Amino acid sequence: MTEQSLLETRNIVYYYEGNKSPSLNDVSLVIKKGVKTAILGGNGAGKSTLFYHLNGVVKPASGVVLYRETPLSYKKKAKRELCSHVAVVLQNPDDQIFGQTVKDDAEYGPKNLGLPPEEVKERAKRALEQVGLWEKRDQVPLQLSYGQRKRLSLAGAIAMKPDVLIMDEPTAGLDPQMALELMELAEQLHHNGMDIVMSTHDVDLAYMWADEIHVLRKSEKIYSGPQEGFYADRDLSYSAGLLAPAMFQINTTLAAMRGESPAPYPRTEPQLVAKMAPGSKRGKMEVIVSKGDFDQSYIDSLSAEGKIVGIYGTETRKYISANNLMVDFFFGGIESCLSQLLNGKDTVVVCDPDCVEIVEGKIKDMSAFGEPIDYTVTDS
Amino acid sequence: MSLLEFRNLTYSYNSRQKKPSLDNVSIKVEEGRRTAIIGANGAGKSTTFYSFNGIFKPNAGEVLYRDRPLVYTKEALRELRNDICVVVQNPDEQIFSSTVESDVAFGPMNMDLPREEVDRRITNSLEMVGMSEYRMRPSTQLSYGQRKRVSLAGALAVRPKVLILDEPTAGLDPQMSREVMELVDELCCSGTTVIISTHDVDLIYSWAEDIIVLNHGDLIYSGEPEGFFSDAAKTASAGVARPHTFSVNSYVSKIRGKEEAPYPRTSSQFVAKMAPEGTVGGKIRLIPVQDKAEAVQTSGHVGVYGYAAKKALKEADISADYLFDALEMCMQDAVKGLDSVLYCDATMYDMAKERIEALAKFGVKAEVVQ
Repeated sequence: MTEQSLLETRNIVYYYEGNKSPSLNDVSLVIKKGVKTAILGGNGAGKSTLFYHLNGVVKPASGVVLYRETPLSYKKKAKRELCSHVAVVLQNPDDQIFGQTVKDDAEYGPKNLGLPPEEVKERAKRALEQVGLWEKRDQVPLQLSYGQRKRLSLAGAIAMKPDVLIMDEPTAGLDPQMALELMELAEQLHHNGMDIVMSTHDVDLAYMWADEIHVLRKSEKIYSGPQEGFYADRDLSYSAGLLAPAMFQINTTLAAMRGESPAPYPRTEPQLVAKMAPGSKRGKMEVIVSKGDFDQSYIDSLSAEGKIVGIYGTETRKYISANNLMVDFFFGGIESCLSQLLNGKDTVVVCDPDCVEIVEGKIKDMSAFGEPIDYTVTDS
Repeated sequence: MSLLEFRNLTYSYNSRQKKPSLDNVSIKVEEGRRTAIIGANGAGKSTTFYSFNGIFKPNAGEVLYRDRPLVYTKEALRELRNDICVVVQNPDEQIFSSTVESDVAFGPMNMDLPREEVDRRITNSLEMVGMSEYRMRPSTQLSYGQRKRVSLAGALAVRPKVLILDEPTAGLDPQMSREVMELVDELCCSGTTVIISTHDVDLIYSWAEDIIVLNHGDLIYSGEPEGFFSDAAKTASAGVARPHTFSVNSYVSKIRGKEEAPYPRTSSQFVAKMAPEGTVGGKIRLIPVQDKAEAVQTSGHVGVYGYAAKKALKEADISADYLFDALEMCMQDAVKGLDSVLYCDATMYDMAKERIEALAKFGVKAEVVQ
């Protein structure tokens, strides 16, 4: 993997008006291209302030912010240009929703980019479909639930097709299903070339997703690197108001008690299960690439063979719910199927065409925790 | 005895709704039971809360408090709300006054208590949520987490018999979340019945004795959590994720051909269950604190649990390693064979002792010493 710098801060310092102590104090970090990055820290640590620097909305009192190794310019035109490359989705959707209707709102960003009307409409439609809100396109945003408004503000950002999507607490206030769906969308966008940076204090969620973390504590950066390095220092993570993810804590403690090395580190439920119960009789996995051409009787025929069926990808999810189809795992599909497979069940994951590599990647990641998984890829 | 009860309750916000927000729901909450309400967004959790405290009057069926149907007169409802307090998810819907003090005073003032009593309650509630030093601050200058704690203090000042918390940890970082749950433990130990709604199934699994699960206005489960989570597909169809400790224990037990019970609900219990046989646990020196604490010699970590203990340690200038989630942290040390010291509010002593001793059920005995 190339370690190209995408966004970088060098010794940035920032004070909010009237504050004597800085909200960011000498923060230097490099967010690398293609590396899934999470910014961690307690409430008030400086995460949101950092984000406002990354898209040029706020200029540091001192220090430099660089995008693709070029220092940001704070001229009006350059700022506008940057915003089309680096989109920030705020924690509170109401700070970001302006449109009269859901569709208007999703069109706002692309319109501002000066795109032709056809393209604006097309992008807004696609983005609303991805977040599952196309059916609500004519509604007034105020009538939407909090979770829906949250997804609408995300759609507005995706519609701009930014190079980098920065999300501040994307899953806060969402129920588990919506949170997992959102993480799946993030994975899909990332796979299709959009770089994703998110801030969160959900350490368990970040542990499953991120390649690298930057940790802020009281306006200062205290760690950059892989997650295990941070949590291995329990005093450091505890002092930042963060607790080690349950998976990490359980794995390292048990490894120490058994006198084994903690690596490989399980980051998902099936990985932990595989490590805890090695040598189990495993089932197989069929990855079926959805062309959106199957019905309930097809799924029932798989179930009749004793197979557990899960899904992955926004298109497949849309197809399943539009046709009222029933599967075993509508969200968290891969992880649930992998755990079932370890328990000897044969499983099927129906996924979007552009998700096959993601699914295969997750299957191959299991190889670190036992025998490689027996799987096939076929069309629906 | 049931403290709060729904009998065939149906409620719709308006007549155009295709499906009522609560549809023929019957549930019971027992006094002193730690009860959680879970379900996806829009399942009917908030409607349930507002039906409990009489803000919503059911279209059909009834609500009972201490076995008596609610009376929806102004007078009766006012009295009811001194007993049953709801803290909503968004603190801004609950904070009205200009300063923290006047905001927390709002509830007790409405109860026509003497001024000194109101004052005492404000001091005490702000202490419990760790916001004493912000007493004179304007509410608008507070951060989200601080506002959330002020809205909680406002409810505590009423000293309700039943405290209903809607997403008490949403938007809070891990430290603050654990601090809120510690406060909840404290309230439970002093006789308040606490009901919590949340999306954080991992957090709630370590706390709740009973869960009530709603899905699109229907009651789909009530009882011990394991009875619900054991059906993976049913859990998923309700839009609810399974707690990781439950799920991993379940799969590992099945694969190994062992009983799933006893069910570990915390990391320390999980590790204890999976630990090599013959693992000897560490000792936890549990020190009950009324209002004074004395320093002790130890080579292990020192934790502090409960707000009175924290205050006493601060006054005695004793430093601690574990300032939040300390009971669990000390138990994690114990299953690794490490000794530790835990200062704990006297009211929470029995609960802490019971939880530490419960580790033996999972295979590692951690001794409590005085």
